[in-house]
Amino acid sequence: MSDLLKDRALKKEKKMGKDGRPKDSISTVSNVEDPLHHDDTRLPTENTYQLGPYKRHSVPVITEILKDVLTCYLQHETYEAEWSRQMTKTLCDVIRARVKELMIPRYKTVVIVNIGQLSGQGMQISSRCLWDATNDTFATYSFKNSSLFGLAIVYVVYFE
Amino acid sequence: MDEFQAEDEVSIFKSSVEATIGGNTYQHNRVNQWTTNVVEQCLSQLSKLGKPFKYIVTCVIMQKNGAGLQTANACFWDNTTDGSCAVRWENKSMYCIVTVFGLAI
Repeated sequence: MSDLLKDRALKKEKKMGKDGRPKDSISTVSNVEDPLHHDDTRLPTENTYQLGPYKRHSVPVITEILKDVLTCYLQHETYEAEWSRQMTKTLCDVIRARVKELMIPRYKTVVIVNIGQLSGQGMQISSRCLWDATNDTFATYSFKNSSLFGLAIVYVVYFE
Repeated sequence: MDEFQAEDEVSIFKSSVEATIGGNTYQHNRVNQWTTNVVEQCLSQLSKLGKPFKYIVTCVIMQKNGAGLQTANACFWDNTTDGSCAVRWENKSMYCIVTVFGLAI
């Protein structure tokens, strides 16, 4: 009887291993990646198969923005060199922010602002672009008061 | 991916301005033609480089009479590939500012 018990205990010990775990299923960890420190967090994006823009910029909308901004900022001002230096930058930033607010994806924006003194000089501004005329466009607006003129041009260029 | 190289544009611009305006004095009836020539020459030379870029070229010609002019630009694009370049040129009677923007396709 005691022999039988002893035999059973021995068998159990063999089966479970000495520390009580099943002997034939041992797992080891070879490599653990720390979930917080991924070097490359950018997943490869899927193909969109989109060949053109879903939504295009409309010229009247941008022209309206330019008109609004230029009139608002320059209406009651007189030309002064240092002020004008600051103002061109400010206007550029304001216009760019307003165009970005339209939230039209896949478009790059270029804003150019000129402010000049009016003193009877002759002047000519012209531009030409090498682009896809179906998707890319531009808008322009010029403002004038008694001492200065302001000219803003916005180019919106589609990129794939 | 190609990057916008400003050096090419500067030399292209200078040669085209010298060729069209050179030592001329400001003449109101010819300015329209000058600005058109400058931007067209710049653009045709740029397109000959055969890079995958869309280009925007603007040219300002202003008569010198003591009047001030400020120009600035702001862009919303990919800084790694796109770029701009502005060159100022002047002679006795006028200023000429050419700005080129290159936007990668």
